[in-house]
Amino acid sequence: MDRILILSVFVVASCGLAYELIAGALASYLLGDSVLQFSSIIGCYLFAMGVGSHLSKYVKDENTLGAFVEIELLVGLIGGLSTTLLFLVFAWASAPFRSVLYALVFIIGVFVGMEIPLVMRVMNARNAEFKELVSRVLTFDYLGALAVSLLFPLVLAPHLGMARTGLLFGVLNAAVAVWTCWCFRNSIPQLAAKLSRAGLVLLALLTAFAFSDRLTTWAEKGLFGDDVIHAETTRYQRMVVTRWHDDLRLYLNGNLQFSSRDEHRYHEALVHPVLATLPWAKRVLILGGGDGLALREVLRYPNIEHTTLVDLDPAMTTLFATAPQLTALNKGSLKDKRATVINADAAQWLESNSEVFDAIIIDFPDPTNFALGKLYSVPMYRLVQRHLSQNGLAVVQSTSPYFAPKSYWCIDATLREAGFHTWPYHTYVPSFGEWGFILFASTATYRPPERYALPMRFLDAASTRLMFQFPADMQKVDVEPNRLNSQSLVHYFEDDWRNVQR
Amino acid sequence: MKRRDFLLLSAGALAGCGLHPGVALRRNAPGMAEGHALRDIRSLPPPSAEIETDVVILGSGVAGLSAGWRLASQGYRDFLMVAGPEWHGNASGALLGGTPCPLGAHYLPIPGPAATHVRDLLAQMGVIEQGASALKPTYDERCLIHAPEERLYLNGQWHDGLIPPGNTSDETAQIKRFFDYVHGLRGQAGSDGKRVFEIPSALSSQDPQWRALDQISFAQWLDRQHYTAAPLRWYLDYACRDDYGANSSRVSAWAGLHYFASRNGAASNADDDAVLTWPDGLNPLARHMAGRIGADRLLPGLAAHVTERNGRADVLVWQPQQRRTLRIRARKAICAMPLHVAAHVVEPMRALGFDTRDHMPAHAPWLVSNFVFDQFPAEAQGVPLAWDNVVYGSNSLGYVVATHQLIRAARPERTVFTAYHALAEHTPEAGRRWLQQASDDALYTLASSDLAQVYGWKLWRNASRVDFTLRGHAMAVPGPGFLGNAGLAALRAVDGAVQFAHADLSGFSIFEEAAWWGDVAATRLLQG
Repeated sequence: MDRILILSVFVVASCGLAYELIAGALASYLLGDSVLQFSSIIGCYLFAMGVGSHLSKYVKDENTLGAFVEIELLVGLIGGLSTTLLFLVFAWASAPFRSVLYALVFIIGVFVGMEIPLVMRVMNARNAEFKELVSRVLTFDYLGALAVSLLFPLVLAPHLGMARTGLLFGVLNAAVAVWTCWCFRNSIPQLAAKLSRAGLVLLALLTAFAFSDRLTTWAEKGLFGDDVIHAETTRYQRMVVTRWHDDLRLYLNGNLQFSSRDEHRYHEALVHPVLATLPWAKRVLILGGGDGLALREVLRYPNIEHTTLVDLDPAMTTLFATAPQLTALNKGSLKDKRATVINADAAQWLESNSEVFDAIIIDFPDPTNFALGKLYSVPMYRLVQRHLSQNGLAVVQSTSPYFAPKSYWCIDATLREAGFHTWPYHTYVPSFGEWGFILFASTATYRPPERYALPMRFLDAASTRLMFQFPADMQKVDVEPNRLNSQSLVHYFEDDWRNVQR
Repeated sequence: MKRRDFLLLSAGALAGCGLHPGVALRRNAPGMAEGHALRDIRSLPPPSAEIETDVVILGSGVAGLSAGWRLASQGYRDFLMVAGPEWHGNASGALLGGTPCPLGAHYLPIPGPAATHVRDLLAQMGVIEQGASALKPTYDERCLIHAPEERLYLNGQWHDGLIPPGNTSDETAQIKRFFDYVHGLRGQAGSDGKRVFEIPSALSSQDPQWRALDQISFAQWLDRQHYTAAPLRWYLDYACRDDYGANSSRVSAWAGLHYFASRNGAASNADDDAVLTWPDGLNPLARHMAGRIGADRLLPGLAAHVTERNGRADVLVWQPQQRRTLRIRARKAICAMPLHVAAHVVEPMRALGFDTRDHMPAHAPWLVSNFVFDQFPAEAQGVPLAWDNVVYGSNSLGYVVATHQLIRAARPERTVFTAYHALAEHTPEAGRRWLQQASDDALYTLASSDLAQVYGWKLWRNASRVDFTLRGHAMAVPGPGFLGNAGLAALRAVDGAVQFAHADLSGFSIFEEAAWWGDVAATRLLQG
């Protein structure tokens, strides 16, 4: 009988450490700053265990086994579902995430803290010798911890993922409860009720286990459901690269930047309407686009002698210049000898530099705040003008003319206000929906290309013609240009997406 | 070191660290040492050289610069400018930790059609890109304050704009009634057909009915009109301190209404109430004018004695750095210095019709504090960091962000927040005494009161340096009766060898007024 108890100590200790590790990993993974997250999670957890140990003395002697079973079921249920729950909370709102995290860690810690004292009291009641008892319980307690500390990073986290690892340990806790019930069936009161509760807990955990993928995918709109191959919080943004089968995705601050399944549509549409009509172009400037994908398209033209890419975040350009899966996607464009990568704030670089380019490709983040809104303003486009050669062409990614029509046409009006001729166009990118670009130049001579000398995956004469036509449900709307004084674009953008998002 | 000394030293260090650990404090009181020396020591070294010139401008603040700029722009060459104790006066700026920031005035509302002198300057600088004489010129957007322009900290949250909401429907109605009234006043003309409240104020209507407003304080006028709502009254006090350095109870009702009813600038590419600013406040305007005047016409030093001799101006210039004095003889001297200085320097003021005892306007003391941040502090809920950030209910004037006008996707690594405080809680004399005697900690506590309320302990964690600029006589206060000040009227009309150009002649200190009197003096010279 004692051997069964000792084995359950081993399992219980494993589970206890597992929840702690998962919470720490999850926190540092979602919030960044792993030293802080791990330290505070471990601190909170150990303290809660102390509280649990203290509370264990209020469990009456005749009820220790029953209490142990109940606690195992509770730990199994709460601990097992905690990871999934945290993912859901994080997906819906990041503000209460910390509070929920620490509350869960504390609750689990209290219950886990009660486990070992209760087991020791059960064994003590069965007249085990004290020194033998302490030595065996603690030995297996620490062995269980060792086992999980190795299994978690090496086997469980990479193969099962966080959510399912949590659920697995929940099942183990519940199994210990069932097993204890079975072994001590004669000394446990209300056995049937406990067994049926255990059955319910197991059912809940196994169901969650089976659907955990779909649950997290649904919760995070695919964000953390996929394998995360890189996650980093830089000075400027939260950068997450995920992989699901052959689909690589980049998220910046939780917003999808590209999916490798359809990024060719976006980047072909961004680059080729400009460059296919400029066979004489030699020098190209890319603002933003630190993933090197627009650069990949630019470098396909043998006439391009030099490309300068200005992106704010060195962590971004370094990652996309070095990570093998990502350089396979951008064909190593960031390391190409025809490319110069500069990490600077785009306007600052334009202000302090006098180089002139034949084509300028602008791929900034959407104007979600006042700082980003300035990158779509009249003075910014005047700055761009100083760097564009007389017959040169430029293009700017301009949000969605379907979902954000006021924003899209505001960018068009801003370019016109800055003295440019514009050619708005749009295309369908499955990950984004209908997406818009605006091509602009100082002269009015541009005609969209009717053929492409280079082989394309998406663009052809017919699709290009369609791109420059705006059907009835995407007609131009009358809006103010984006002036720095009022930043109408930021307000339009908020309005537009408030109307779309539920 | 003895144990006792060590303990005392540690205690002292701890006490010093308590308010602002790791923050270096520096203070500068422009002109104070020089001014007091001139007042107290009457024996200066005899002049080591004599200079003959046609015109000498005494002071390099906005009035002096504006006079020199107008002369130079008209091709007039035979003049010199004596800097005074501080280059650019209230329009001075600094470079702190690599960030340009203001040491004084920091914004200029877009000028209305009557302020042609300001529009000329802005057009020459390229700030007005088109239509300098049109109703709505086109401005260089980079100099118009970028959105979000201003926000108010109220109940732990940031709200858009500076006008606090009413707490009851009656208060809300009062606020609306006030702003409807002052907006209506913008188009109001007096019996002589001129706008009642104009910038420059010299072009305002002389209609005695309207000018009677000058006989009571703004607070009295508000009481009589039943504007009693606390949020409105706080805001109006804030506005009076901001432009006049004193609360509404010490400001003339005419001046209080002038603040709201005079501005009628408009732009073809911005909102009507748009405001111009630069990272270092109004300093670029001063630098532009100084550049047009030319470095070879600028002399360091300050006027120690100005008098008229045989129909010519005779000026003794003290150059404390060079430890010498110069004598400048000129056909005309333009005293572009505040009147409390002129009273000690120009002889005799009384003969010009200005009696120091009866006619001297009160000058409000100000504390301008530049907080250098190595990192932006975390913000409370609500509207994000704006250019102008004001705390509701505060006696201070909030703070402006020097890097606000940069076109950047990411925040710069460093920034400067400039906190303004007009010492309106004291009389001007008491305020000056307080500034003169205040310890660094006392200055820090006063300067950081708004910032500390908003950011708490994060303030000293993020700030590395604070520079205090103490301006004992920052601006004239337009108290009740200032329009009828006979001494000011006399100085405005003086057309002899010694003349005056300063915002003090208007009785209140804004860029447009200072520039106006510089422009008037220069135009008078060019015509005469």
